[in-house]
Amino acid sequence: MQPMSWIHFPSNFARWLAIAALLLLLPFSHPTAGELNVVATTSSLGALAREIGGDHVSVRVLAPPDRDAHYLDARPSFMAALRRADLLLEMGAGLEEGWLPAAARGAANPAINIGRPGRFIAADFLHLRRSITMDEPGMGHVHAEGNPHFNSDPLRMAEVAVALGERLGELMPERAEHFGARARQTADRLEQHARELAAQLPERRIVVYHEDLDYLEEWLPVTVVGYLEPSPGVPPTARHLQRLVDELQNTEGSVLHASFQPDRGARFLERHLGWPRADVPLDPPADAALDGYLELMSTWAGALQPQ
Amino acid sequence: MQTHRIMRHAGAGLLASAFLSPTLVASQWQIGDDHIGVDVSLILEGVYFNTLSRGNDEPAGFEGGHDHGHGHGHDHGHGHGHSHGFDEGFNLGHSELVFEARLGELLDGTLMIGFDDDHLEVEEAYLTTRTLPAGLQVKAGKFLSDIGYINSRHPHDWDFVDRPLVNEYLFGDHGLQETGVQATWLAPTETYTLLGVELLQGTNENVANFEGRQSALNGQNRILSDASGPRLVTAFAKFGPDLGPDQALQLGVSGGYARTFQKTDEHSTRFEDWDGSAWFAGLDAVYKYESGRAYGHGNWRLQSEYFYREIDVDRRDVNFAEDDNGPIGFVRNVQSFKNKQDGIYLQGVYGFAPRWEAGLRLEALGLTNELGRGDGTKEDTSYRHGAQVTFRPTEPVFLRAQLNQTDFAGDHGSDRGLEFLFQVNVALGAHGAHRF
Repeated sequence: MQPMSWIHFPSNFARWLAIAALLLLLPFSHPTAGELNVVATTSSLGALAREIGGDHVSVRVLAPPDRDAHYLDARPSFMAALRRADLLLEMGAGLEEGWLPAAARGAANPAINIGRPGRFIAADFLHLRRSITMDEPGMGHVHAEGNPHFNSDPLRMAEVAVALGERLGELMPERAEHFGARARQTADRLEQHARELAAQLPERRIVVYHEDLDYLEEWLPVTVVGYLEPSPGVPPTARHLQRLVDELQNTEGSVLHASFQPDRGARFLERHLGWPRADVPLDPPADAALDGYLELMSTWAGALQPQ
Repeated sequence: MQTHRIMRHAGAGLLASAFLSPTLVASQWQIGDDHIGVDVSLILEGVYFNTLSRGNDEPAGFEGGHDHGHGHGHDHGHGHGHSHGFDEGFNLGHSELVFEARLGELLDGTLMIGFDDDHLEVEEAYLTTRTLPAGLQVKAGKFLSDIGYINSRHPHDWDFVDRPLVNEYLFGDHGLQETGVQATWLAPTETYTLLGVELLQGTNENVANFEGRQSALNGQNRILSDASGPRLVTAFAKFGPDLGPDQALQLGVSGGYARTFQKTDEHSTRFEDWDGSAWFAGLDAVYKYESGRAYGHGNWRLQSEYFYREIDVDRRDVNFAEDDNGPIGFVRNVQSFKNKQDGIYLQGVYGFAPRWEAGLRLEALGLTNELGRGDGTKEDTSYRHGAQVTFRPTEPVFLRAQLNQTDFAGDHGSDRGLEFLFQVNVALGAHGAHRF
């Protein structure tokens, strides 16, 4: 038997380990001392964090606002950002389940583990609408916790703002009062703007693409009367669209969908029902604060104004 | 595209979803008073395989270096000499039952059971820490090594039906799958930088084969000796710069050293024994482009890996029966030699329409193909070219058709073959998020 120890065969490997160990001992500084490093999955959450946290937070948004937040890759750059995060904001209720668990696990940052103050799951603070995926026969169970697209509901976002203010205060107790006040202000502005927009809009019936605009019903005088997708995640089929047209023939309404969704189905309804069609963003720009979100609310309401 | 919301029409006629759904929908439960959420998911795969024209079965220089089987251990009687271990016709492919649980604050547990129609195997069973500080993580148990890119990924996550040649022939039909411990460190840098080390038992027949001490023959000892584990150590580094919302890149470098590589072959009157060591090293790169359009339309994925493997052994044959050369215990063919082999692949997949993808894969095996046994031989390079089209009717289901043109070097020169594969894959239950 040939004696061989682990110590001497990988000599350059041992050196490698030593370098890694040394690096570990170096102190790591955050972007700016005293700032809370916040990572938000969507720009709607990012906007709230910027508004409430002000200069005391630096915010990085992971999901590009013009993309479907359901379908992202757990990118290496996400893990690098989460590795240094003090606070991770997610919508929850399954919206990010295709990628966030993998990205968070890969980040090796216990501060953002579920259950820690560094993990903020917005859906946990809300009563969600039922998801249509819960009512269909078969095996749908994506959104068993409810419809996670509450970013289109400023009233629920106001509740999230208050909860987020509290959480920021927990992480920075010396500023808790300040954050609490900012959060209440933010909530007030959201609610007030929602009331104003609702007052300007006549009752509308709408067809949406996915259940991502269902929450408009919660604060605008609108009723969702159909979905372009035959079932969530499945692109519109000719048969389904024809059925929608037959059902809605000789009624009034509009078709609304997210900018990243294909407009073929919406155009079909526009052509056969004479309903106006509009595509809208679902989230504000990545660098937005509250004003960006308020503007987005106006965009949604504006798209439903009768022409 | 990561598609793990579970949809209603997952069955798609492949299986009796009505029968399976009641158990799968209830995939979160609590055990006793502890809140242990266990996610259960089931991956079912069916593969149709057809050899349209027969080429050389095995790439020159790699014969016997793998066990013909794509399946789970029942390989030998089943591979009729073709390269994948798929039977001609219908196959229950690589199906998996996955359990993932959070064990309190400290650990995550994962158990993956692979099965086909007559065999069951624990493919992975490991614990991962979730509370170590400073970007450290430790994983312990049986797992797929994180060397390279495709090695740690399960077949339903691949862009092609079959394993790339370089992984299949350098690491085996399951890739480098070992029992041991892995430690990783994620640097707190803007650019994703992950460093990792693995201490593994060392049982992989392609890079760390272990036979152990064999009894002496007529008082003549064999060169094979015992060596306690861990016998294989690997290290890897991965880098991922932030390229903005449309693009993502990951580059990797990895390698491993097995302090014991042993083999024994039974010839008519003698055992041929090899005892030595082996090492390997490789590079991998993955690039993804996301167009931002719905259902993966316009997305690109490019992926490439190169691995080199060197086996450095002493050979010494011992007679177990008397022959013309000598009595039992007679020793001959004493030599030391090296086998140097490598392989590479490059593949690209493009979303040419919503829910439709097409891909090409180019592979070369044995660009270096030097076998030192006996007087030494230098074999030619083998090639394989693959093309696939994939359709995802609903999120958890995909159908894939693939053509492989093989151009394997053989004793009588290269000989082209053509294979057709058709795959149906369904993910049921709370299937976890995929890594990049």
